[in-house]
Amino acid sequence: MARFAFKAPSRPFRIGREGLLLAALVVLCTIFASQSEFFLSERNLTTILRNSVDLAVVCAGMTIVIILGGIDVSVGGIVAVSAVLIGRAYQYGMPDWVVIPVGLAAGALLGALNGAIISKTRVPPIVATLGTMYIYIAVLFLVIGGVWISGLPNTLSFLVLGDFMGLPAGVFVIGFIYVFSWLLLRRTPWGQRVVAIGCDEVAARLVGIRVDRTKIQAYALLGLFAGIAAILYVARLRNVEVNIGTNIALEAIAATILGGANIRGGIGSLIGTLMGVLFIKITQNGLVLIGVSSLWETVVIGGLLIVVLILDALETRRVS
Amino acid sequence: MNDPLTQRLFFLFGLLIAAGVAGALLSPHFLQVSTVAYLLQYVPVLGVLGMAQTLVMLSGGPGIDLSIGATMSLVGLAIAGLFGLGVPLLLACLIGLVIGGMLGAVNAFLICVLQVPSLMGTLATFFAYSGLALALTGGSPIGGIPDWFGTLAQGRILGVPVHMWTVFIPLAIVLHVMLSRTRIGSHIYAAGNDERAAFLSGVKVWRLRFALYCLSGAIAGVAAIMTLSWFQAARPDAGEGMELLSVTIAVLGGAHIFGGIGRISGTVLAVLIVTTLQVALQLANISQAWQLAAIGLLLIGSVVADNAVGEKLRARVRRTTS
Repeated sequence: MARFAFKAPSRPFRIGREGLLLAALVVLCTIFASQSEFFLSERNLTTILRNSVDLAVVCAGMTIVIILGGIDVSVGGIVAVSAVLIGRAYQYGMPDWVVIPVGLAAGALLGALNGAIISKTRVPPIVATLGTMYIYIAVLFLVIGGVWISGLPNTLSFLVLGDFMGLPAGVFVIGFIYVFSWLLLRRTPWGQRVVAIGCDEVAARLVGIRVDRTKIQAYALLGLFAGIAAILYVARLRNVEVNIGTNIALEAIAATILGGANIRGGIGSLIGTLMGVLFIKITQNGLVLIGVSSLWETVVIGGLLIVVLILDALETRRVS
Repeated sequence: MNDPLTQRLFFLFGLLIAAGVAGALLSPHFLQVSTVAYLLQYVPVLGVLGMAQTLVMLSGGPGIDLSIGATMSLVGLAIAGLFGLGVPLLLACLIGLVIGGMLGAVNAFLICVLQVPSLMGTLATFFAYSGLALALTGGSPIGGIPDWFGTLAQGRILGVPVHMWTVFIPLAIVLHVMLSRTRIGSHIYAAGNDERAAFLSGVKVWRLRFALYCLSGAIAGVAAIMTLSWFQAARPDAGEGMELLSVTIAVLGGAHIFGGIGRISGTVLAVLIVTTLQVALQLANISQAWQLAAIGLLLIGSVVADNAVGEKLRARVRRTTS
C-alpha cells in the first residue's frame, strides 16, 4: 500500500499540466522579451522573484490543503494578523529572535484554529474559513487601528532582498519551502495520509487514519507558511498596510488551480503551483514593462485559468 | 416547529430582533423612522445577490458563483457605456440584463457542460470579469446617468426606498413562489438533495443548473441597475467583495453549501440581519472591525448550531423508527 499512495493518481495520455504551464510561461516571456529589452535583465528577473516570494510560500501550503480536499479563503487574514503582530512587536523594540517566533506562532495557531473548526464542527471548509476570514480581518483592524505601521527595521531584509552565492536569497527561501513541502507530501506517511483523505475521506477514516488530526495539522502548516509569508512581507516592504492580505487568498487558490490541483481533492502538484505563481507574477511585471496598463493582469490570469480548465475538461473527456 | 428550516427561520428572526435591540441600546439615533429608510437603502442590492447565490447553491453540484460581484461591475459599466454611446437608457438596461445572463452562461458552460467544479470555474471568471471591468475603463468610473434614473434607488414611497418596492420585494416573492409552489422549484430541491435520484426520476439536472447560473448572472445585472441608479455612475469595482458577502448571506440564511436545503425567506432575513448590524454599529460609531467579527462568528455559529440541531433530529428519527 505504501508505495502506491506516494504517487499522485496518474493521468495517462496527457501532456501534463506542468508541460502546458511551461509552454505558457515560455510564450509569455517571449512576448514580453520581444517588446521590452529590460524584461530579461538580471535586475528585472530579481525583482519578479522578490515579488513572488510571499505568494509562493503561501501557495505551497494551499496546495497541500487543496490536495487534502479542503480550501482556505482566510489565508490573507492570517498573513495580515501575523504581519500586524510582527509590526507591533518591532515597535515595542523586540529583537528578531522574539519577533520571528511570534509571527510563526500566530500563523500556525490561526491555521490550526481553522483546521479545528473544520474537523470538529463539520462546517464545510469554505464556510468555516469565510467566517474566520471576517474574524481575522477584524483582529487586524483592531490591532492596527486604521493607521499604517511603517519604518520597521531592516534586519531581516536580507531574506528577500539579499544575495547568497550569487543568486537572490528569495530563490533559496522558495527552494527550501518547496523541497520541504514536496518531501513532506510525497515521501512521508503524513503526506500519504493527506492524499488518501483528499481522494476519499470516508475510506481514509475507515482504514484508521486520524482524519481530524491530519486536517488540523495541514491547516496549521498552511497557517505557518502564511506566518512565514508575513515575515517575508514585512522584511521586504518594512511596513504593514491596512489592506494587507486582501488579494492573497484568491490569488493563491488561482495559482494552485493553474498548477493542476483539483478542488475536489486528491490531485495537485507543487511544481505546477510554483509555475502558476511565476505566471501570475511575470504577467504583473511584464505588462507594465511593455506599456500595457497593469489593470489587464487579472484578465490575463483569468483568461489562462479558463483556457486551462477547458483544456483539462476536454482531455478528461477524451480519456474517459 | 420540527422542521429544521422553520427552526432556522425563528432563530434568524430572533437574531434580527437581537440586532435591533442591540442597535437601540448602542445608539439613541437608531430607533427612528429615518433609520429604517437608511437601512433599507442598503438591502436590495445585497439582497438580490444573496438570493441569486441561494438559488445556485440550492441546485447542488456543489454550486457556488464567485463571479457574481464581478458580473455586477461589468454589467453596470456596459449599461453606462451603451448609454454614453447614445443608446436609450432603458434599452441599455435591458441589454445589460442580457449581458448579465450571457456572462452567467459562460459559468454555466464551464460548470454544466465541461463539468469543471463550480468553485474553480467561477473563480476563473471572477478574475476575468473583474479584470475586464478595471481594464476596459482604466479604473475610472463612468458617470453621466441622468437624474430621473436616480428615482429607482434614491426615491421613497411611504418612506421606503423605491427599489425595495419595485425590485427586491417582487423578486423575493417570485423566487419564493417558484421554489415552493412550482415544479421547477421541486426539481431544484431534488437536484440539490440527490442528483442521481433526481436524474433517474427525469429531472434534467444539468440543464436546470445551466439555467440557474444564467439567472444568477441576470440577477447580478439587476443589482447593477440598482447600483447605477443609486450612485448615478458605474464604478469598475462596484461589486468588489460582493461574491463572498453574498455567499455569507446565503449560508447565514440557511442555504446548505452542498445544496438541497434553503429558503428565500431565510436569505431575506439574513440580509436584514447583516444590514441592521452594519447600520447599528455605524450609528453607534463603533469600529467596523466588530461588525466583521460579528458576521464571522454568526456565520460559523449558525452552521454549527444547524449541524447540532440536525444531529438531534436525526437521532430522534432513528429512535422512533427503530
